[in-house]
Amino acid sequence: MTFQIILLVALLLASAAAILAKDLLKSAIALAVASLLLEIIFFQMGAPYAGVFEISVVAGLITVLFMLTIALTKQGDDIRESKTVKIIFPLFFIVFALIDFLVMRGILARIPALEAAAETGTFGDVLWKERSFDLVGQVAVILAGVFAVLALFRKRDHHD
Amino acid sequence: MINEWVVYLLFAAGMFFLGLYCLLTMRNLIKLFIGIEIIGKGVSLVLLSTGWARRSIYLAQSLVVTYIVIEVSLVATALAVIINLYRANQSLDIRKLTRLKG
Repeated sequence: MTFQIILLVALLLASAAAILAKDLLKSAIALAVASLLLEIIFFQMGAPYAGVFEISVVAGLITVLFMLTIALTKQGDDIRESKTVKIIFPLFFIVFALIDFLVMRGILARIPALEAAAETGTFGDVLWKERSFDLVGQVAVILAGVFAVLALFRKRDHHD
Repeated sequence: MINEWVVYLLFAAGMFFLGLYCLLTMRNLIKLFIGIEIIGKGVSLVLLSTGWARRSIYLAQSLVVTYIVIEVSLVATALAVIINLYRANQSLDIRKLTRLKG
């Protein structure tokens, strides 16, 4: 469990770096590092398929898309964030961690133990047979995304 | 098993808080979107750790895979919107996006 806790702490630190870094490129890279750590956690839990999707799509494709956007919007770095953001952050985080810990400890006794539902079959069986409607939704969402990007980047008609 | 599950929930709540803090305080549109990504990571951590604690990891995995596919579509669309906003306003500052006000 110590290894998992180290991974989780590193994940939290990488997320904080992604938020607090001043340079947008650095925060995109920190986001990629966070998703790499999340992927290792997924592998530890015995979920290789979700881990592979996370590392290839989120750490790869989404980082590239972020970098492309940062390169296309050059003056985005110039925005001054308010200075109190970094000062208040540790305070807020300590308060949040206290509340989180107390609430979790309080509800820990009341949560009924999750009954183990032993699964049969493989990941492919579950994905393609039990959750096949999700796949229809995925196709619809991907098509909607493609059409949205096409509509947003179409050549402007000068007559309107 | 349940104690380890609560540890995962604790850290996922921490990630959710980080993303929420970013959404509430930052002014750069790309930074705000990074906050949304971090919230999504926390939620997928909750999904997968709950499936792991309940020993139904395949179902949790298929939900996380669905979420990741939707996330890619969301990111592509949102970044296209951000680029278009930058072309229209020459800035990514949310305080300058006031042209829609009546």
